Amino acid sequence: MLREEELKTFVDGTTRYFEVAAQQPATIGSPYLLEGEPAMHDYTGMINISGKREGVVYFTAPRAMLTVLLMKMQESDFSHESMRDLVGEVANTISGNARRDFGHDFVISVPSVFAGEKPQLAQPSGARAFVIPIHWRSHSAKLVVSLT
Amino acid sequence: MRLSGTDRSRRLLTAGAGIVFAAVMSLVLIIGFRLATEIRASVGALQRASELETYPSVVSEQLTALRERLDTLEYTGHVHAELAGSIRGFNRDLAALERQPGLDPAAMHAAAALWRSYAGVLTPVLAYDGEPYSDTATTSSLSRSGRVFYAHVRRAELFAQTHAAALHRQLATVSASLQAGTAAAAARLRLLLSGGVLAVLLLGLAAAYLQLARSRGERAAREAQEQTRDILATVREGFFLLDADYRIGAVWSQALTHMFARQDFAGLSFEELLRDKVPPETLATATKFIKLLWGERAHENLMKSINPLGQLEVSMDNGRGGKETRYLQFDFHRVMGPKGIKHVLCAVGDITSSVLLSRELHEAQENAHSQLDMMVGMLHSDPLQIGAFLDSASAGLKHINAILKEPARNHAEFSKKLAGLARELHSLKGEASALNLMSIAQRVHHLEDMVAELKGRSELTGNDFLPLVLKLDELLAHLRGVREMTLRLSSLKGGTPAPEGTLSTPILRLGANGPEELASTLHSLARKLAQDHGKDFMLTLNGLADCPRAYLPTVKDCLIQMLRNAAVHGIEPDAVRRAGAKSGTGQVRVDFRRVESGYEMLFEDDGAGLLPEALKEAAVRRNILTPQQAAQLDNRATLALIFKPGFSTRTEVSMDAGRGAGMDVVAKAVYGLGGKIGVSTNPGRYTRFKIALPAASETAVA
Repeated sequence: MLREEELKTFVDGTTRYFEVAAQQPATIGSPYLLEGEPAMHDYTGMINISGKREGVVYFTAPRAMLTVLLMKMQESDFSHESMRDLVGEVANTISGNARRDFGHDFVISVPSVFAGEKPQLAQPSGARAFVIPIHWRSHSAKLVVSLT
Repeated sequence: MRLSGTDRSRRLLTAGAGIVFAAVMSLVLIIGFRLATEIRASVGALQRASELETYPSVVSEQLTALRERLDTLEYTGHVHAELAGSIRGFNRDLAALERQPGLDPAAMHAAAALWRSYAGVLTPVLAYDGEPYSDTATTSSLSRSGRVFYAHVRRAELFAQTHAAALHRQLATVSASLQAGTAAAAARLRLLLSGGVLAVLLLGLAAAYLQLARSRGERAAREAQEQTRDILATVREGFFLLDADYRIGAVWSQALTHMFARQDFAGLSFEELLRDKVPPETLATATKFIKLLWGERAHENLMKSINPLGQLEVSMDNGRGGKETRYLQFDFHRVMGPKGIKHVLCAVGDITSSVLLSRELHEAQENAHSQLDMMVGMLHSDPLQIGAFLDSASAGLKHINAILKEPARNHAEFSKKLAGLARELHSLKGEASALNLMSIAQRVHHLEDMVAELKGRSELTGNDFLPLVLKLDELLAHLRGVREMTLRLSSLKGGTPAPEGTLSTPILRLGANGPEELASTLHSLARKLAQDHGKDFMLTLNGLADCPRAYLPTVKDCLIQMLRNAAVHGIEPDAVRRAGAKSGTGQVRVDFRRVESGYEMLFEDDGAGLLPEALKEAAVRRNILTPQQAAQLDNRATLALIFKPGFSTRTEVSMDAGRGAGMDVVAKAVYGLGGKIGVSTNPGRYTRFKIALPAASETAVA
């Protein structure tokens, strides 16, 4: 069973990104369990985890949110590639936070990024996914944690 | 630094030897100085005496020379002057010698007397200052005064020749006595110096011995120190001493550096050691406890029994910039000195592994127990009934998840979720209890505790809901386990295995077996409640067969909650009932019947009834009403309080009552079907609920 501290590590990694990159912290909404197919926004950054826990953690955000985020980061390039890079960076920050807190217990992959297309999720059987809404300004993204 | 007894004696001995050495040397030097002075004076006197010895013959010779010059009429002035000088010299030296101590007094006296007798003959000689010769042109001769002078000289010469030897002997005796005195003083000085040398030698030997002993002691101390260092570097526990200011001493074991990820501890206060590693409340408690340890009145064993740091959860840097939770065990021992407590010895152990292991073991045991309990409960229940419950539970949890999923960004929105969650959970717990599935009921009860705790918070965020959703996931996993077990039991019994449902696709519908199943569930619940609460009552069910299937789930929910309320609040203990002239066995009665407008269900117990004042008090206690509002309520409105969310007359929460969610669930369920609910009571006699439901065909029920 996933522990609260582990879940918090992923949540903190995500909210911290907003705080550092855009100088405006994100808040989290009411967490819930994912039912059925995972709901994806326009861009998704994902890391695969193995070792003590197995599964995936991904951050998925709508294009509008990423655009404002890039603006706040004083970026002027709002291309498809910039959006992909951005969700990749968020996934990377989540990964860094997990490495910091869990050390070698977790083997974490390089982030993979999906845009538009439905990602191939290596979701472990028996693991339920936790969805944590990430609110930033008027936008909402999702952090999904599915680990055994 | 504290000295051992041996060290102290050794130091005292060294100091004593030093003092003795200084005293002996001072004495030797003082006496030696005095003896040397005495010898020096004796030697001077001896020289003077030796010189004096020569004077008698010199005076005699000078007198002879003076006489011979007078005989030959030669110039006598210089010889006369030399004689006068000798006499002066003799007088001076004799006077000086007489003052010298340690002389042979008889010899000195005799010498002085003899010399004084010289004065009678010498004085006229010395007194002469005329011209002894009278010269003519051709010849010289003694003058008249010269002749007298000659006679004096001749007399003195003869006297000197006669007495010179005696005077010399007397003076030689004086010299001999002086010499003997000097030799004795020299011998005393030699003796003294030998004694001094011997004393120095002895003291030197003593100092060498003490130095040797001290070196031995120091070597032993060095070895002991080295061993202590080795122990402190090797031991796996953290050891340190706290002083009266609660500060760590200069020595500590190396293990502390790993435990607390710091290098220096000397002078660090206990509070500083734990600051940022434990919550402020824990830190305050720990600091208070440390202060208590210094109170001599508090018994050490008692202090050990209340040690709040026996298993302390600390948050430590993990070396990668993050934090990790570790568990430390602090043990304290007082170190007593002659004036009371000197230090407090702290032993710290890292018990993280054993705490985690024991937690895992405990969880495994709990799981095994709950699986066993569950198995026992399931063996006494109809698999289909359990299947129906599991579907109902899945639907309930799906609803809970839907409540959680509703967007929320602020306290009000988060807070709004809690009431709905409490209702769903309470209903679910009631059903689980009715089927005696206590492992599920307990898990739901725990979730209810979490919700109740969140209700009390003044500020809610999404983070506060993370533990809740994790527990929900745990409950779902447990339900999945129960379902798998049900399937296995079904196949063992040879029945049709109930297909697996999921959170989103419930397969078995509640009440598949209809009113009989409901009746069986209620009777089973009544028996369990009677046993759990030590109450004796009989449940009578009438007309449930008339209940349409569509209403069965709601009717079941309502009856479970009302039955629990009747058992906990209504039916009195046997003794109370008998004192009130009632039958020892309580009666709980359910009448379901078809009426013109639809259906009517009466639920009645012959228990304590509802006391309006007690209801008002509970409402005020739970902040549902102000005392003023409560005072203005009429009887009807007072009884309606029991349907308010969060209302309960119980001050403690138990598995069956106290949350204030029971009658709220009933009312919501009845209203959900478009029905009505009313309550009437006669304190001390009965409580009666009347539920009116519309005709089933008029209401769409899932």
